[in-house]
Amino acid sequence: MSEPALLNVVLYLPVAGILLLLAVPREQESLMRWLSFAVMVVQLVFTVMLYSRFDSADPGLQFETRLPWIPDWGVYYHIGLDGMNVLLVMLTAFLGPLVVAGSFSAITKDVKLFYAMVFLIQFAMLGTFVAQDLFVFYLFWETMLIPMFLIIGIWGGERRIYATLKFVLYTAFGSILMLAAVIYLVYSLYTSTGVTSFAFTDLYKTELPLRVQTVLLAAFALSFAIKVPMVPLHTWLPDAHVEAPTAGSVILAGVLLKMGTYGFMKLGFPLFPDATQFFAPTIMTLAVVSIVYGACLALVQTDIKKIIAYSSISHLGYVMLGLISLDLLGIQGAVIQMVSHGLTAAGLFLMVGMIYERCHTRELAAYGGLAKLLPVYSVFFMILTLASVGLPTTSGFTGEFLVLLGAFRSAWAQYQQGIGYPLAVSVTAVTGVVLGALYMLWFAQRFLFGTDKAPHQPLKDLDFRERAILATIVAAVFALGLFPDSALQKTELAAKQYQQLVATERAKMGRSVQRVATESTTRSAP
Amino acid sequence: MIWQDILTAMLPEHLLLAGIVLLIGVEIVADKPRGALAISLLAVVAAAAAALWLSSTGYAASPFAGQYAVAPATSLAKAIVLALSVPVLLMSRHEFADSRFHILLLSSLYGFCLLLSGDSFLTLFLGLELMSLPVYVLVLLAYKRRESAEAALKYLVLGGAATAAFLMGASFLYGTSGSLALSAFATALASTDRVATAGLVLVVVAFFLKAAIVPFHAWAPDAYEGASVPVTAYMATVIKAGVLLAAVRLFGTAPVSGRTADLVAILPLLSIVWGNLAAMRQQSFRRMIAYSSIAHAGYLFYAFLGDGPGRFQAVVFYLLAYGLMNLLAFASIPPCEDDAARDRLDNLKGLFHREPYAALMIGIAMLSLAGIPPFPGFIAKFLIFKNVFAAGYTTYAVLGLIGSYLGIYFYLRVIQYMFMSPESAPAEMRSSRGLALDASLVCLIPVILLSLFPGWVIGRL
Repeated sequence: MSEPALLNVVLYLPVAGILLLLAVPREQESLMRWLSFAVMVVQLVFTVMLYSRFDSADPGLQFETRLPWIPDWGVYYHIGLDGMNVLLVMLTAFLGPLVVAGSFSAITKDVKLFYAMVFLIQFAMLGTFVAQDLFVFYLFWETMLIPMFLIIGIWGGERRIYATLKFVLYTAFGSILMLAAVIYLVYSLYTSTGVTSFAFTDLYKTELPLRVQTVLLAAFALSFAIKVPMVPLHTWLPDAHVEAPTAGSVILAGVLLKMGTYGFMKLGFPLFPDATQFFAPTIMTLAVVSIVYGACLALVQTDIKKIIAYSSISHLGYVMLGLISLDLLGIQGAVIQMVSHGLTAAGLFLMVGMIYERCHTRELAAYGGLAKLLPVYSVFFMILTLASVGLPTTSGFTGEFLVLLGAFRSAWAQYQQGIGYPLAVSVTAVTGVVLGALYMLWFAQRFLFGTDKAPHQPLKDLDFRERAILATIVAAVFALGLFPDSALQKTELAAKQYQQLVATERAKMGRSVQRVATESTTRSAP
Repeated sequence: MIWQDILTAMLPEHLLLAGIVLLIGVEIVADKPRGALAISLLAVVAAAAAALWLSSTGYAASPFAGQYAVAPATSLAKAIVLALSVPVLLMSRHEFADSRFHILLLSSLYGFCLLLSGDSFLTLFLGLELMSLPVYVLVLLAYKRRESAEAALKYLVLGGAATAAFLMGASFLYGTSGSLALSAFATALASTDRVATAGLVLVVVAFFLKAAIVPFHAWAPDAYEGASVPVTAYMATVIKAGVLLAAVRLFGTAPVSGRTADLVAILPLLSIVWGNLAAMRQQSFRRMIAYSSIAHAGYLFYAFLGDGPGRFQAVVFYLLAYGLMNLLAFASIPPCEDDAARDRLDNLKGLFHREPYAALMIGIAMLSLAGIPPFPGFIAKFLIFKNVFAAGYTTYAVLGLIGSYLGIYFYLRVIQYMFMSPESAPAEMRSSRGLALDASLVCLIPVILLSLFPGWVIGRL
């Protein structure tokens, strides 16, 4: 198969899945489940092929397709893989079969619509990652709203309508302002160069005054920060997570939240480098506030799903910290942390779903001593907890460690220039590691040990399907923890490009002009 | 050859006229007139095909110099809007079996074609009135409900006010320019003369009235609710298209600036905000669509802020996307003996479990109307706001986008009712009659094509 075709096959397999589902008669629910699973597995196989064929020495786009789509506006159907999205595409495809298999027993209502929506969101997420044209990116970005709206709203818990409307109205507000910024940005490119283009590579060349950059970055950042979510825009997340069905939570935590950080990395920061430098202390502060505040909130929750939901806020704070540190290790660590959080959070949400299916409550106080009642379950739970905490040899360690290393390296360099603030912020971020260990281990202690109690006894331990799902995730967690080299290599060139883009001054009348002015005066002085 | 020009240039109109004559003939001759639907469908499709043919061959002529002119672009717009009335006809099959409906509808379409080719205030006015007058009767034809009479009267009175305002404004413009040519309007846009400005404002207000822009919108919810489903669909798509295209004819490619820009932006902005806010509270589907159409009229007038040549493209594309969406929604509303019950939003609850196809179609229509990608409603909105940004009206554009955000909730509420609420419709809601499946398919296929290949359509406008 030719290379660009392979990426397109991966992208459009979910659409084929929807069409296949339409053909299945309504009563044949188990056929629908296995069909969806099979399509997801095929997609994963093709994605593994993509991943292994990805050349980490090539800095450009690979598996690229570029076709005119709306020629009058300079919009191209332009997709491709680079070091930034290759890991996230892999993560999305990896979680696909697990999401489907994880809802075999949980979803009994409107099965066909459910799997169709899972396919639709899979399609939209992959499309968002591989898009290399801002218009196409925005289309996929917004399309994600529809399936998530339905997944939470139809198969969710008691307050599902409230939660899903809150989710959609939050994200849509961010998107509307981003849309305004997108149009303005493309129009600015047109006025300065005479080219109408939505291609990322063209837009990276747009020269804008600092004042405009700050406004545009604010609009993009609002949209991305809502998705991440960063404190104080996080309030939709606990509601959405708690009310969503397991599959919804897994998709949300596993991939959807990474859209926000990916957006910052691919668009927000590189498009507006001067504004990013200008706002860097603010963004860094918000990232650390997210780390610490999310951890504190996780500490006091009584609902097990909420603990993991708040821990997501904290973990994604590290990603933001790594990205804004602009240090090569920090950036690579951020990417690893995205994947790692995708794996551990997905695994933990699946495990919460499994216990919920057995006992129908998520109150932490109702449980205790599960280590004795459900030994296999507890082993998996402990591994994922430790991975989430960042124990060495697990993926969580690689991500958090690299992020903190990067943050300190850049903060130290600034400290030596007399700017102490980043260092103080980075030190605060370390307390997040301690807090993270505290809330997760305390949670595991109350959940797995202590007096034996469960609201519904006797409990059946994990069956083969559930064990297979969790074993796959755990294997990936260790693989990324023990052998991060391959993943790091694939991201290295992209991380360097990102670093370079953000470091380059591009303001028309910002710092660069002033410097040129001072240089010319000093030159003409003697 | 002038006769040949008259025959060719007015071919769509002639075909519609032939349809009308044939319908009247059948009505007189036959004891039990049948086949009205077939005749009118044939006439409309033939007229649309003729318009498409004229546009694709690049035919341009003005058989009545200064009064009536045909250009490829207007012919294409004619073809599009004529094609949009096909689903209306298909939908009407159950409601209106007799030929009165069809004669009135074809007359209204004839008026639409006339106004689109009108080259002077006279023909434009003639077309506008010929398009509107049959609709007053069409609203009344749903005589099953008492509200229909009230709605028709309200519509008539306010329509009359709009006509008066238009005539007054046109005569002011005639007074200052001494010409009835449409270019007088473009001249007035740039002029500082008081009489010309008064004429300009009056004409614009007349269009605001006809397009239901706040604060001239009060008739729309009543008229939409009072009329029957096909007529409401017709008003929301073809009539709205006619009014907006007439306005595009008037504005031409003349740039708007300063006070004129405020004139075409402030009230439409209010419409966007108010239409979206008021729609949230509605309990009737057609009233909700009426408020939604008030908001959409606001977006459409926003297109006038953009530069001249892009204006026509933006308006036609928007009307196409918006018309298809409305028609898709109306065609998919499950039929019911009781018209008022059919209209209640509550009765859509749990529709997905009763009629999955209908629920999906209405869902697609709502998402597209809300401007959520990948549906054509988004591309259309993007096109308009792109032009507004490009013309430099950043503040208006951002405010308009925020206004459009307000609309997301009530469209999603419909989806929430259909997919997430338990079924609450009483058993008598169910009707033996099936859905207007053909009508919804006629809309669905172009919707899909428009989502996949918007560039193809945009490149041809």
